[in-house]
Amino acid sequence: MADKTMPISVPSEKPLKVIKWKVKEGIFVSCGQILFLYSDSSGNKSEVKKFKALRSGTIVSIKVKEGDIVEPGGCIADLEQCRHPTVMKEMCAECGADLRSGESQKRDVAVVPMVHSVPELKVSEELAQKLGREDADRLLKDRKLVLLVDLDQTLVHTTNDNIPPNIKDVLHFFLRGPGNQGRWCHTRLRPKTHEFLESAAKNYELHVCTFGARQYAHAITELLDPQKKFFSHRILSRDECFDARTKSANLKALFPCGDNMVCIIDDREDVWRHASNLIQVRPYSFFQSTGDINAPPPLPEEKTKILSGKNGSQISKDNQMPTLDAEPEKENKEIIDKSNTDKKDSENGIIKDKKDDKIENDATEKVETPVWVESSEGQIEVDDPDDYLIYLDDILKRIHNHFYEIYDKMENNGNEKSIPDLKYIIPEVKSQVLAGSSLVFSGLVPTHQRLETSRAYQVAKTLGAEVTQDFTDKTTHLVAMRAGTAKVNASKKMGEDKSKIHVVTPEWLWTCAERWERVEEKLYPLQRVGQSSLRRPPAHCNSPPPAPAVRKRTPSGRFMDTINPLLSFSSDDIADMDREVEDIFNESDESSSDDEEKVLGDIDEENITEDRLLSLESGNSSQERLQEKLNEDSNDSNTEDGERALKRPRPSTPSDDEGPPDDDDTSWNLMGAALEREFLAQD
Amino acid sequence: MFYHISLEHEILLHPRYFGPQLLDTVKQKLYTEVEGTCTGKYGFVIAVTTIDSIGAGLIQPGQGFVVYPVKYKAIVFRPFKGEVLDAIVTQVNKSIPTDMEFCPNVNPPCYKSKQEDNVIQEEDVIRLKIVGTRVDATGIFAIGTLMDDYLGLVTQ
Repeated sequence: MADKTMPISVPSEKPLKVIKWKVKEGIFVSCGQILFLYSDSSGNKSEVKKFKALRSGTIVSIKVKEGDIVEPGGCIADLEQCRHPTVMKEMCAECGADLRSGESQKRDVAVVPMVHSVPELKVSEELAQKLGREDADRLLKDRKLVLLVDLDQTLVHTTNDNIPPNIKDVLHFFLRGPGNQGRWCHTRLRPKTHEFLESAAKNYELHVCTFGARQYAHAITELLDPQKKFFSHRILSRDECFDARTKSANLKALFPCGDNMVCIIDDREDVWRHASNLIQVRPYSFFQSTGDINAPPPLPEEKTKILSGKNGSQISKDNQMPTLDAEPEKENKEIIDKSNTDKKDSENGIIKDKKDDKIENDATEKVETPVWVESSEGQIEVDDPDDYLIYLDDILKRIHNHFYEIYDKMENNGNEKSIPDLKYIIPEVKSQVLAGSSLVFSGLVPTHQRLETSRAYQVAKTLGAEVTQDFTDKTTHLVAMRAGTAKVNASKKMGEDKSKIHVVTPEWLWTCAERWERVEEKLYPLQRVGQSSLRRPPAHCNSPPPAPAVRKRTPSGRFMDTINPLLSFSSDDIADMDREVEDIFNESDESSSDDEEKVLGDIDEENITEDRLLSLESGNSSQERLQEKLNEDSNDSNTEDGERALKRPRPSTPSDDEGPPDDDDTSWNLMGAALEREFLAQD
Repeated sequence: MFYHISLEHEILLHPRYFGPQLLDTVKQKLYTEVEGTCTGKYGFVIAVTTIDSIGAGLIQPGQGFVVYPVKYKAIVFRPFKGEVLDAIVTQVNKSIPTDMEFCPNVNPPCYKSKQEDNVIQEEDVIRLKIVGTRVDATGIFAIGTLMDDYLGLVTQ
């Protein structure tokens, strides 16, 4: 930055005598402020003039003393111009200068919006660093950490639907929208929220970080914390978010010295870009028909994940339903009916955007469904089995202890300046959960999928467990979907002599991942009869493993390439696969062995490329065209679809760990896409 | 600074209001339309004190709406650069570069001077000098300073 010190020199042609200074060195003067009194040195002392500052700034040094005479052109004092370190609505908060007019290069100085609820207030990088350091020092002194708290589905669940007004412990409030419109929000706090906040506030500085609108965020915070003792003004809402889809963009501004001491609790990890200092909590769902009313639009690259999660949730829901009593179920229906019949709200567009619907479906994934029971006093009592906050509190305490253990150790070793980083500490704490255990899965991972790519494997890894394909000496747990698999039987035999292998359901693993503790294995025994629950890994069990190499990107940088199994093959692989397919077709047609060779000869790599590209151009008809061609080639082969499907070689495991395709030519990718379409169509 | 000045405003009235209560409606409409608004030139209109005259209504061709020119006096407030004002603290946050210290741990958060004898917190009255103003479409925004003689906390 250019030095903006400028001298104040004698204004007149004649020498002057400084009579009295009105300012001191290091003081800030604004434009028009009197700097000193002077008179012409020519003699007549009667005439005392005031010298006013022509522009605002800080007096760096005063060069002349009172009573001195200064010649014209001589320097009287040095004035450093205001650097505008703090800017509010494009006005400097120090000198009041309007930065919108003209001097655009100065405007860039203050760029960091440091205060949660006032995005217009910006400070310079330099000042932000200073304030950030002060914050960090203060936190260390108080032995606290920062905790960013999400609201929707983490601490509260809110719905805009019409619900019976007499549900116990549901708070109702009205939000005034633009114009005269408004909406009623019905909010249920997660059980034990107050205890949780109370406890967390001892170890953490709490910040709200939500995608709700500002008004909503403040209203909920008011409900959570009427005395403002937990959150104070530290509320970051959608209005202050830089990015409509992720919250991580704001981290840099709020914590200019790095997020070493920041811990996050949220029910969605995509909005934090899978940060490792995130504790993904089990989503809290109370109102069955509503998800997160403030869910951000999904990231484009997340779509596939969400869709797959949807299927999983559907199953888990069905599975859970029968456990409910008949009575509350009926009541649920009534409630839903009520909200259905009363369409007024949806007519006003209050309920929610269509965009959100998909996520909502996803978010309705329920682990423990609250049971609604009408009590005698006309209030609907709700037996809410959700006790997650107790575990969460415990997790947070462990993280805090671990952080300050390391910090104290570092301080004793002499390097006081360094602060441990929660981005490493949190995965570390998590990896202690199942440390020392060695798991074997049975029936969890489809046989065609590689173990390392499965969700269960990654969850177990983040918890610090070893996972092996088969039994080893160290194996401690067998996680089995159902009784009667080969591994279960084997474990029984082994159990007789060693009796140390726990046979548990996958539920056990998911619960461990939820609570970050080694759950008692006896609670999750494998049932002899029938399948164990089909519950899929909960959405919040997919925290990134310590080694972030799993989501490797291809050089093309397209996410699609990393997940599409066919696109991750090299061109040679695809060619090989094609040949394999052809072989099978030809095998089924034993009579025409001559044609076989001809076909093999025909389908050499270059031809494939051309053909496939052609078929791609023709769009939807690609499949028929290809089939036609195949039929032509293999003359009177009677291969039926079913047979073909049976004999089709199973594609070798798609793996993100595999290196990027050798040949990343887009034509090959296109070809892969066409191929995939064919396969899908055949299924 | 507060002023009591004469202002003019035009009221557009729907024909359904034509009747014995017509002038009352015009007055009522004036109150709702101008009080609380802000113009760059005069600042915020705080309150209409008197309505001096309601001119002859002019029927708009093709519509039936009537425009009444109204002259009224109102109290307006406009902040000026260099003006000294008393103000109430609504929020205390960390990015304040003064010789005071920000204490976020106490409830409510406040500023304390080094000797801890001077505390500024929410709801306190402070005297400040305006160093800059910005006139927006919806309001006037001003920045003040406490860094001058006789400025700061006003003790009742």
